[in-house]
Amino acid sequence: MRIRNSFLKENLTGYLFILPQMLIFLAFLVYPILEGIRLSFYKINYQNETFVGFDNYAALFHDPVFFKALVNTVVFVVFIVLLTVGFALFVASAIFDKNAKYVSFIRGSYYIPVMVSMVVMSMVWSFLLNPANGLISYFAREAGLGTVNLLGNTQTVMPVIIFVTFAGNVGQSIILYIASMIGVSKDLFEAAEVDGASRWQVITKILIPSVQPTTIYITIINIIAVLKIFVVIQLLTGGGPNNGSVTLMYYLYNNAFKYNQLGIASAVGVIMFAITLLLSIPQLKAMLKQK
Amino acid sequence: MSQPKKANKLQPFDLVSNILVTFFAVISLFPLYWLFTSSLKNSSDVVKMPPDWWPASITFANYVDIFRNQPALRWTFNSIFVAGATTILVIAVGSMAAYAFSKIHFKGRQIIFIVFISSLMIPKEIMIVPLFRIVQDFGMVNSFHGMIWPNVAGAFGVFLLKGFFDSTPDALREAAKIDGAGEWRVFLQIMLPIVKPGIGALFILNFVQIWNDYLWQLVIGQEKTMKTLMVGTATLMQDLNPNFAYKMAGATVAAVPMLIIFILFQRYFTSGATAGAIKE
Repeated sequence: MRIRNSFLKENLTGYLFILPQMLIFLAFLVYPILEGIRLSFYKINYQNETFVGFDNYAALFHDPVFFKALVNTVVFVVFIVLLTVGFALFVASAIFDKNAKYVSFIRGSYYIPVMVSMVVMSMVWSFLLNPANGLISYFAREAGLGTVNLLGNTQTVMPVIIFVTFAGNVGQSIILYIASMIGVSKDLFEAAEVDGASRWQVITKILIPSVQPTTIYITIINIIAVLKIFVVIQLLTGGGPNNGSVTLMYYLYNNAFKYNQLGIASAVGVIMFAITLLLSIPQLKAMLKQK
Repeated sequence: MSQPKKANKLQPFDLVSNILVTFFAVISLFPLYWLFTSSLKNSSDVVKMPPDWWPASITFANYVDIFRNQPALRWTFNSIFVAGATTILVIAVGSMAAYAFSKIHFKGRQIIFIVFISSLMIPKEIMIVPLFRIVQDFGMVNSFHGMIWPNVAGAFGVFLLKGFFDSTPDALREAAKIDGAGEWRVFLQIMLPIVKPGIGALFILNFVQIWNDYLWQLVIGQEKTMKTLMVGTATLMQDLNPNFAYKMAGATVAAVPMLIIFILFQRYFTSGATAGAIKE
């Protein structure tokens, strides 16, 4: 009887301790997801909701702007993630075994743009890239390239956004790599040194394979972060020129808050949710195994 | 900690890599240098070509403008309040849940924890339509409540703090319970003080994240006085005032608090950022 009692009490205490977090989690995370799936099957006009089945999804696949947004988002994800992982590996592998003060200086320099946020970085870049009086445009003129408007040109807008996003986010990955590389056992390097391995061999044969779990983690968090890319687009291009830089998140936002197409916007959200969930499965598995 | 290698042992490849890394590090700080120095220029110097690499005459007029003609002080207060309140709530409810998942053997704790963790990677932005409607139903649009509560829902705090609770010995709790202490007392007086470093890390990381949040606060804070500093500053971009120095001053005001936090709490970012990474 006593054992049964204490077992019940343990259960009840546990539930009470998780209750506040649980309620907020259900109200503002689980319910919105379910509600979003439901709304994606409805046409919504203020308080009127009409069930339309898969019409919203069908409408999306007939909208060239949606396709543009989808393609642009994929391009952003592929290029930004490759650049980020490659550059972060390069920086971290060059400095991880150096003087602590030097590591901290390099780490700080790359992390500060992450810290001040994409809003601030986008504002500076919009000034630097401004065709009339931006520094970059000035250098282009000096170099004899004439008046350049990198953000107003469909040829250059994507590379510029890719670069700006990469430069504003790569610090996060550098920090993760440095922490992970410092944790790699020193014995491995010493053994390699005794065998006369070059620095390049040590990095490619020992260091990079040793930090592979971090590479997977960095790849996944960056894919998900770039998938929802929004601030840079809103502040630098507004999706232009001619939808040349529109992304899924920007398309979702416009449908929801400008065109009042809540059903369509919800369908975009559901598609993005499905992609995110699929992408995060390997990471979740790893996190659960860890214990 | 790795021992610094002697500089004379640097191989050529290593040397070239480090020169490049240092060069790019300086380049990556340049936009912020340009932001800051431009904010100190007057409206004609800021667009002068060729540019002044350092302001010919320093003026604070842009900052006076930002605080006088825009409710920048109010925006700053909003940001501090929203980020602070969200973070305190995240710590309060998150530490309770993390403690339970770590130490209390209740039925189904494994599966409930998995459900929490599964949400970690899902950005709330993609559910912005239903979330907005829910917040609207609660009458929380254009209010601090609307900015705060949805940001308490995420499970990052639970995940981070559970790791810290897991590393405390179970014997502490059992001993205290034998002495007659209730669960709540064990949690508040024994366990919480032990996981203080975790709470510190969570506070800093979460505060910065909410401070820099943009999209959600953009749709919730609709009145000019209800905007947070990030959203308010971004509106300067669409401002009719063509003076770039003035826009740069706004961006500087939004950036400086985060720079100070980074300088003071650097270690939290280098350790806390790795909390989600898998260790070998």
